[in-house]
Amino acid sequence: MTALFVLDGAAFGYGGRTVLSGVTLRVEPGAFVGLVGPNGAGKTTLFRGLLGLVRPMGGTAVRHARAIGYVPQRETLDVLFPLTVREVVEMGCYSRLRGLRGLRAEERALALTVLERVGLAAHAREPFSSLSGGQRQRALIARALLVQPDVLLLDEPTSGVDRPAQRAILDLLLELNRRDGIAILLVSHELALVREAVREAWWVADGRVERGEPRELLSPQGLDRLFGAAGERLERS
Amino acid sequence: MDLEWSQVLELFGFAIAAALLAGLVCPLIGCFLYVRRTSFYGIVLPQFAAAGVAFGFAVLPWWAEHVGLGGLDLDTALSDTHAAANYHLAWASTFTFGGLFVLSALSSGKGSEAGRLASGFALAGALAILFTHWSPAGENFVNEMLRGEILAVGQHDFETLAVALLAALGAIVVFHRDFVLVSFDREMAIVLGKPVRALEFSFLLITGAIVSVGAMTVGPIVLFGMLVIPPLAARMLARSMLGYFALASTIGVLSAAAGVWASLRWNLPMAPAIVVAAGAVLLLAAAFARLSRGRS
Repeated sequence: MTALFVLDGAAFGYGGRTVLSGVTLRVEPGAFVGLVGPNGAGKTTLFRGLLGLVRPMGGTAVRHARAIGYVPQRETLDVLFPLTVREVVEMGCYSRLRGLRGLRAEERALALTVLERVGLAAHAREPFSSLSGGQRQRALIARALLVQPDVLLLDEPTSGVDRPAQRAILDLLLELNRRDGIAILLVSHELALVREAVREAWWVADGRVERGEPRELLSPQGLDRLFGAAGERLERS
Repeated sequence: MDLEWSQVLELFGFAIAAALLAGLVCPLIGCFLYVRRTSFYGIVLPQFAAAGVAFGFAVLPWWAEHVGLGGLDLDTALSDTHAAANYHLAWASTFTFGGLFVLSALSSGKGSEAGRLASGFALAGALAILFTHWSPAGENFVNEMLRGEILAVGQHDFETLAVALLAALGAIVVFHRDFVLVSFDREMAIVLGKPVRALEFSFLLITGAIVSVGAMTVGPIVLFGMLVIPPLAARMLARSMLGYFALASTIGVLSAAAGVWASLRWNLPMAPAIVVAAGAVLLLAAAFARLSRGRS
């Protein structure tokens, strides 16, 4: 099977400044990858590189994924927009809409189906801004699912939500990965969560990326061996 | 009011139609400005347009001598603003788009956007006064024009306004989903393959065109009011994005109708009457929203 993303010696950065270099990684279909590391280490840069929001400054970054479901940090979305939950979710269809064409009946039905899937069907007509943090996150996952993706990229999907909501989001992602075969790549600074869920961890620090088996790589000993103080700081946070 | 309605329509038909059309379309642009937290653009850009018109007056003698006014003589151009409408419109557009370009170029730099807009507003206001001072048409004449007496809207003004507003309305109807997506979640729009820069540029183009033409025809006061107040009132009541657009336009049209009626009924200046009517709707919306919150 063709890998969804192939990075070969890729370098990413901003304004001529390199943040990450020599990144050689692959994301296989059905993978569940956790992208972790200290703040400012370049997790978001790598994430944005995979999304195509940042072009590689060197090496190659090739995307074979047919459709990407993107779940941003919910804090980046302005609640001043009077959007309903359903309107937010239906944005997942917008790439298929041209001109005056509205959503077809089957697309509306699919929107309702994904809302049911994430447990928000009853909230479809409510303002997106009225949802709790965990519910908003699930609505954004529903929006990403409407793209009918072969890979979901999630930026800090569990940050700022309480433990039960974290659990619900994680269970949903595990189900999407195991039952539907959707590859998942998530950025997180919550090591316990990543250790429990992902099958592969990418540790980003000091301008490089280390890849490994999560329970080993993200154990206190593994972090200490790889990155010393940075790993300890992250583990404590 | 001493006039029959048929006489009113005969005399002020274009002005009334212009007010209603502005009430229908300007709030739609204003909705996007509001949710993008750029409502100040609705105040600053008409000021740039006004500075452009004042500049046009200041350089009119030189322009007439060296470039020409398409067969129009200087005295007519100085005394009849309708005859030289395209000339003034060109300067209003140049300053509006120039201001937009400068503000957009500065937006990626350091400092707050509110500070940049406030500086732009102050500068454009000062330039408008200076250019007006140098105008050979006289300060009173130019000030009168800049204040925008919507009752003076004639057929040519109305046709120009109608073309600009209906083109903007068409673009919003066709691209409203894309404009919402790009405004709400720019990165998602890029991931979905939307032409984000082209959409953002199109929106700026629409805003600039509406402001240039609107400032020249219905005047900056109505333009300010319709770009800012109905979207603000509608946001307090709207429960969905489509509902927001519909409410803002409805409030704009109702405010324009109420302002026109009050102006004719009590012999008030029409532009301020329209804006005050919109303000009254805003107060009602705020009271209604507070009551609704109290009940829930």
